[in-house]
Amino acid sequence: MRNLFLIIGREYLIRVRTRAFLLFTVLMPLFVGGVVILPSKLMSRPPSTRRVVVVSSDPVLGNAVRAELFASHFSGEEIGPEPRESGNSPRPEFEVNVQGTPGEALRQQLTAELRHGHLDGVVWMDSDAVTNRKVTYYSRNVSDVIAISLVGRAVRMALGQRQLTDHGLTPAQVKTLFSPVSVDAVRVDKQGASPTNGLGALLLPFVLLFAIYMTVLIYGIYVMRSVIEEKSSRVMEVLLGSVSPMQLMAGKIIGVGAVGLTQIVIWSASGALLGSGGYAMAHRLLGSTIQDAHIAPAVLILFPVFFVLGYATYATLYAAIGAMVNSDEEAAQFQFPVTLPLLLCMLLATSIIGDPNTPLSFWLSMFPLTSPIIMFVRVSVSMPPTWQIVLSIAISLASLYGLVWVSSRIYRVGILMYGKRPNLSEILKWLRYV
Amino acid sequence: MKPPGITVREPYAGIPSATKDAIEKLTQLPHNGLPDTHTGFQPVRLLCCRTHHGTIMDFMLELDCVTKAYDEFVAVDKLSLRIPEGEIYGLLGPNGAGKTSSIRMMIGIMVPDSGSVRLFGQPLTRPLLERVGYLPEERGLYKRMKILENLVFLARLKGIGSHEATRRAHQWLERLELGQWAQAKVEELSKGMQQKVQFIAAVLHEPDFMILDEPFSGLDPGSSLQLKNVLLELKKQGKTILFSTHRMDTVERLCDSICLVNQGRSVLRGVLREIKSSYGLSRVQLEYEGELPLLSDPSLVAGYNDFGNYVEIRLAPEADPQRLLACAMQRAKIRRFEMVEPSLEEIFLETVESTKAVPSHA
Repeated sequence: MRNLFLIIGREYLIRVRTRAFLLFTVLMPLFVGGVVILPSKLMSRPPSTRRVVVVSSDPVLGNAVRAELFASHFSGEEIGPEPRESGNSPRPEFEVNVQGTPGEALRQQLTAELRHGHLDGVVWMDSDAVTNRKVTYYSRNVSDVIAISLVGRAVRMALGQRQLTDHGLTPAQVKTLFSPVSVDAVRVDKQGASPTNGLGALLLPFVLLFAIYMTVLIYGIYVMRSVIEEKSSRVMEVLLGSVSPMQLMAGKIIGVGAVGLTQIVIWSASGALLGSGGYAMAHRLLGSTIQDAHIAPAVLILFPVFFVLGYATYATLYAAIGAMVNSDEEAAQFQFPVTLPLLLCMLLATSIIGDPNTPLSFWLSMFPLTSPIIMFVRVSVSMPPTWQIVLSIAISLASLYGLVWVSSRIYRVGILMYGKRPNLSEILKWLRYV
Repeated sequence: MKPPGITVREPYAGIPSATKDAIEKLTQLPHNGLPDTHTGFQPVRLLCCRTHHGTIMDFMLELDCVTKAYDEFVAVDKLSLRIPEGEIYGLLGPNGAGKTSSIRMMIGIMVPDSGSVRLFGQPLTRPLLERVGYLPEERGLYKRMKILENLVFLARLKGIGSHEATRRAHQWLERLELGQWAQAKVEELSKGMQQKVQFIAAVLHEPDFMILDEPFSGLDPGSSLQLKNVLLELKKQGKTILFSTHRMDTVERLCDSICLVNQGRSVLRGVLREIKSSYGLSRVQLEYEGELPLLSDPSLVAGYNDFGNYVEIRLAPEADPQRLLACAMQRAKIRRFEMVEPSLEEIFLETVESTKAVPSHA
């Protein structure tokens, strides 16, 4: 027992006092934040003003398009993946001029202006634009999806208004007809209904999923590298003169896991400390959405449970891999099949967060190698029935027991084997050694 | 030979020496009263040591008929040996003879397929290992940890408090001239220095029994001398040392008893002095100037190793060394003529060679 604690202590201290630990502790939240926030920021960061010319033979229609383009900047209607917002909207502002009578000379002149950068876009409406419902948008940057969709929308609105007024509606009636409808998402669970915004509910599982995935993967690999290091530096044999292989493996897994838990505690504590400050920052970055995101107590309790289960499962596997190989390079090919289920979890996460109760979600949350992560995702999205959580944990524990049995055998023999990498039949033979 | 506090019960007390010789001749006792598994001979144990604790502790370590096989390959084959307390015991053998496997079974890293291991007179258990120091042939320390941390960590695993471990580590580092390296990382040290640190790790917890696998390899002459003095001092303190090597010169000078293993079996064992004298003065060392045609005379010379003006001659059986000297003097000027016992290296090579003929087992 004393030796187990000594090994845990060494594994823990040697990692916690490194600069890498400090860096990782600081960088990880930034990274997670980056992964979650950056894409939406990147999608919605066009230049703030577009200088656009609308060319139409029908000045009324042209002006209507112009008005819609102006309005789109302040409109609350969702058009793209970016959140609605008022104030400093990420949407482009439009500076619109209307020119009449489309002709070849005007087209030449406008495209020249586009080329020289005096203009950002030209909306070209031929005389048959109304009947064909077709316009052309000239721009230097045709991948400016938001601008294009805004133009399309403006034209659609203008055409719609035009046709409706043609049918005898007043402009005021038309305006009401097109005014946006807002949808409030209300989450209902056993505790009752809590008003949350869809995005906030989506964001939280992603952040937690990422935290659990990264820590399981990174600390699992730490365990593997630690075994390889002891093997390649040959300190293993000295240690075995004092401790049993089982103590060594257990001490390593617990010690490294404690580092992971420390990190998670630091993140949660600093998150809680920053609390309002963090929300304020998130609010500024994302809009109002995150404000409503709250973590249910059950999620808080189950997070460490599933982290420990996931980590223990993978760390045990990685420890066995470390014992089988002689170097990090050799480990790479063994590592892949083990890492695969983890990757699968990440790939399927979006669909599982979107619909946490499909048969696929259910079975993945029962399969031992994916259950800790997937079950946790399901818990954080909407609480599954208790029996499912209990069953998932029970399956995890049972498979962990089996894994420890197999891994400790591989470990015990493998750590003394140098040189040739063992093949599968040799590894199976190791399991039978006394 | 024995450390203070241990008395040897003399089995022949009161018996006239002629009778004693006769008995020994008749019984042809293998060393230490060990059952010889290959001849099936089961001797009566005659020697017994009594420690100052009053308990009977015959041997620090006993291997009894220990066998270990990896699949088809038998690494250790019914090996038996007993290491008396207070001795420096040499475990010799060519590469792949089963030395490392034997050692690993002595400290429980591996479990024998059959046979038993007893440490300090008890069946091997993990707590007993706290009194054992181990210097493996494959040296290893945590490369990115400081020297002092490495030493303290390893000593604490053996049950030494961290304060005491630190104090002793400093003492040892000073003694082996590594004092200024205590806070350096292992990877900053030269190979020889790492060896010394590794040695300190094996003795820091003041074990009663030390297993040193090739302790001198990689050391410069100065460090070797240092280490040799340390070993002799440990022996003087009553510690027992098992010393595995294939470097015969050190064994010859340091060991009290040896066990020579080849192909997993013990092929020669006993008190070194007795083994050597059993070969008798069958070697001649000759320093000469001139020619020695007698070297090709099979009635005198069974083999030789000629260095030009110095030759080592293995006498033919029944050859008369005086006649050899007379012959040599006919054509050469003799500077030195000495009859000696064969060196351990010769005995080693000869024994290994003769046991090679034995058909492979398994």
